[in-house]
Amino acid sequence: MMNNLCCGPGYASPYEATKAPREKILYTIAIYTGTGIQKPDYLATIDVDPESPNFSKIIHRLEMPRIGDELHHMGWNACSSCYNDPNMKRSFLIIPGVRSNNIYIIDTATNPFSPSIYKIIESSEIKLKTNLSGPHTVHCLESKIIISFLGDAKGNAPGGYLLLNKEFDILGRWENSMGEISFSYDFWYQPRYNVMISSEWAAPNTFMPGFDLEEVGHLKYGRRLHIWDFKKREPIQTMYLGEDGLIPLEVKFSHNPNSSHGFCGAALSTNVIHFWRSEEGNWEWEKIIDIDNEPHPDWPIPIPGVMSAILISMDDKYLYLNNWLHGDMRQYDISNPHKPKLTGQIWMGGLLGRAPVVNGVKIAGGPQMFQLSLDGKRLYVTTSLFSTWDNQFYPKMKKLGGAMIMIDCDTINGGMQINENFIVNFGKEPNGPSRCHETRYPGGDCTSDIWL
Amino acid sequence: MAVKKIIIANRNNISFKVLGKKPLLEELYSQGLDIPFGCKYGGCITCAAKLLKGKVDQSSQVALNNRQIKNGYVLLCVAQAITDCIFEVGVESHDKLYRNPFLDKLEPHELKADIVNKNIDEI
Repeated sequence: MMNNLCCGPGYASPYEATKAPREKILYTIAIYTGTGIQKPDYLATIDVDPESPNFSKIIHRLEMPRIGDELHHMGWNACSSCYNDPNMKRSFLIIPGVRSNNIYIIDTATNPFSPSIYKIIESSEIKLKTNLSGPHTVHCLESKIIISFLGDAKGNAPGGYLLLNKEFDILGRWENSMGEISFSYDFWYQPRYNVMISSEWAAPNTFMPGFDLEEVGHLKYGRRLHIWDFKKREPIQTMYLGEDGLIPLEVKFSHNPNSSHGFCGAALSTNVIHFWRSEEGNWEWEKIIDIDNEPHPDWPIPIPGVMSAILISMDDKYLYLNNWLHGDMRQYDISNPHKPKLTGQIWMGGLLGRAPVVNGVKIAGGPQMFQLSLDGKRLYVTTSLFSTWDNQFYPKMKKLGGAMIMIDCDTINGGMQINENFIVNFGKEPNGPSRCHETRYPGGDCTSDIWL
Repeated sequence: MAVKKIIIANRNNISFKVLGKKPLLEELYSQGLDIPFGCKYGGCITCAAKLLKGKVDQSSQVALNNRQIKNGYVLLCVAQAITDCIFEVGVESHDKLYRNPFLDKLEPHELKADIVNKNIDEI
């Protein structure tokens, strides 16, 4: 990286990261799985350099060699946790297929504008060696990589964690025990507290076919967070969130490695849960944001927001969240993490009909995944959640595809505004409408880097 | 074991012959039928097809709820043909596979088999 020639990847501190050069390209996942188009999912490279003639355009598409992976989330082989290791480089994206269980290792260093497949870890090898399926979150851990899996090889909960070495060979399971954990999903670690926290979605056999509200009542979906002893690799405390924390999905610690504060978005309850370590050394939690359900003329019950993602700015000042079914993105000032202040809101798509068209493009979904620039000023938001769930709530996405918009964020006074010069319409892709999901930048981003 | 004839109604009634000893997906795919699939263990409904006529054994599927089964859906990645069958395949056959769970709730007997069976055990 430009900021340092002697050291490893990433940045010396979150503050240094905020001073990094502006991102010029994005890598975004686009899927055909579940759309009826018999083409592989792909990694789109998007030009976001305002000086470029291709600004706001997809400039490269890397197709996977198979059909039906459902690429979903991804992560880097190395981040700022390797900053002191001059032998490491942030050169590879690790992209699991949540349905197929294949894991693709993508070389983004040889030519960042034209990434290529470096290695494939086959589903059969993962199942044979670790009995895992349904890969989700990827985090690097110094020179190793941990990937959460939601199920065993037959799609039953609770799954576990796959450990890879830096050559992407399977080392086995990361965890020594899953304890009493019922479900897996996302995780984040904060090394100075020797802690990892994990959240709960559901078994692959439950969520893959689509969402049934009745199954929440039958305890087929999660409602707990789990605190882990990171070095011992085993869970040590469970936080039962109950009705306040139905389907707790994305979980993040502050970027500041000295902070024990973190946040989780409970998707179905549409609440933000704040957790921290008390002075006595116990892990505590509280609900700090509660988004009301909204009435809809055609619905027998008010619509929940469905907060499928949260993100914390690199300076830990703002928390961003989505309401996928309502259609709004929000910005909260979390300078006081116990008392967040709503400072910005925009509408894009959603079932409430507040913004059916954005920058001339019909939006078939709602805000779903997002990635923030390191300086906190540009938020890139996509619209597809998961193919089967898209098909249930936004059936028009089949024809219209997904879209990416850019939101300009005011980092001083707070505030959000849709950038009128930017939109990527995945409905107009050469092979037909595809759906865009998670995004990463070559230089690191706000959902990758952890400091030791 | 007798050979079964499998007709794909929404692909110009193209027909295949299968032995019924392997999952239909494997048998049909190896004979050139291009259909979507994902997990290959009956857990994700990507390969769901609508059975218009005939009988299959899909007892190892774990993803379909009882309403989807009643509507004729079959997971080809685990289902084996018991008789000759006529299917519609692909996303075009998925008109009744997806429903908005808030607008159209399932009755207790329409849930997935493991939940229904558990409830019966508890009663």
